[in-house]
Amino acid sequence: MRNFFVLIRKYNFFIVFLLLEVVSGVLLVQNSTYQRAAIVGTSNELVGQMYAAYSNVTDYLILGETNRVLAAENARLRKADSSSFYDPKFEIMKVNDSLGLQQYEYISARVINNTVTRVNNYITLDKGSLQGVKPDDAVIGSTGVVGIVKDVSEHFSTVMSVLNSNYKVSSRIKKNDYCGSTVWDGDSPQFAQLFDIPSHAQVTVGDTIVTSAFSGIYPQGVMVGRVSEIGTSGESFKEIKLRLSTDFQKLSYVYVVRNLMKAERDTLEAKTLDVK
Amino acid sequence: MIGEIITQLIRFILLIFVQVLVLNQIEISGELNGFIIPNLYVLFLLMLPVNINKILLLFICFLTGLTVDIFGGTAGMHASACLVLGFFRPGFLHLIAPREGYETTLKLNMAGMGGSTFLIYASTLILIHHLVLFLVEAFTFLNFFELLLRVITCSISTLLLTVLSQFLTQRNREVAK
Repeated sequence: MRNFFVLIRKYNFFIVFLLLEVVSGVLLVQNSTYQRAAIVGTSNELVGQMYAAYSNVTDYLILGETNRVLAAENARLRKADSSSFYDPKFEIMKVNDSLGLQQYEYISARVINNTVTRVNNYITLDKGSLQGVKPDDAVIGSTGVVGIVKDVSEHFSTVMSVLNSNYKVSSRIKKNDYCGSTVWDGDSPQFAQLFDIPSHAQVTVGDTIVTSAFSGIYPQGVMVGRVSEIGTSGESFKEIKLRLSTDFQKLSYVYVVRNLMKAERDTLEAKTLDVK
Repeated sequence: MIGEIITQLIRFILLIFVQVLVLNQIEISGELNGFIIPNLYVLFLLMLPVNINKILLLFICFLTGLTVDIFGGTAGMHASACLVLGFFRPGFLHLIAPREGYETTLKLNMAGMGGSTFLIYASTLILIHHLVLFLVEAFTFLNFFELLLRVITCSISTLLLTVLSQFLTQRNREVAK
């Protein structure tokens, strides 16, 4: 027993070291909420006050993050505001002219989704079948063509934009009536290509390109764009680059155009083709 | 004696404040994340009087580590690392002692020990401290190489701040004279 005490006295430094090391090891391993609360509890008040003072200073450093959170909250609250609910009112612009027979009807619509960066771009409008929008109706903006209605739900409709590689707009040169088709090349949302213009046609830079009535979708004479570059592809056709008159990057309000005589025309044309 | 205790206490509070409020808040994004974590509070342990009772030294080390742990929510991690530092400190000081031994009034800082001796003293103990700290934190020898790299880079950052603080306090003292 005496030897034991001698041993302890001799190695007291190492023994204390081991003892404290074991204590911290226990703390580390049993780092449960109870242990943590037991340790922190004694100095909780001090630590809390210090961190409160500290956060007063650091709050300034995280203002950016705070702004982001507040903006998200604003958006959530705005969602609950009356302006974000669907507006069921709509107008169909009609002109009753006794001299002519109404062929086109215009429905105003708001663009609620729009892409320009993909190869096939679509636009979503806030008017649907309840307001009279049908698939294959034309869509035009205040400055020119926009696209063609693809699908319709009760309150919304999707539009295949001119900026869609699957879509051709039948167009013509306004001054001399040569017809071709406008296709987007998937590059810049400001430019498109005009194909099928014969090489003998007189075209100069700046010429106006409008829609033709061939497709039966657009009213004729709606602005498509202006010629910006002229090249030749092969021998018989010109390759024309045109600047689109519609700025798709800031599209907000458009008109859906309904051709009231489209059904009549389609049945007639189908009948003729059948006879052939 | 009382003056010495007060000096040490002020140094302790100051270093803990700097450690908890400034250095523990450093967040470096990207590749360097986790590679620069200075633990300047170790300087307090390094600068304790040279003739301090060894048992007392261990207890001070333990409490210092525990204080940092409480603020960092890492119960036991810093405490065990500081204990190892405290365990090796007397032996290492003996190892690098001049032939005639230390004077009891010697200050364990750059001015008192001389630049190169202090650098050896500080860098060795800081390296030991960081090695234990990161080993305990990881609790595994997996990725040992990366861990070693972290130990070295963090030790270097701590050492840099240590030397920097030496220059700062030293200049103040000269001006005071």
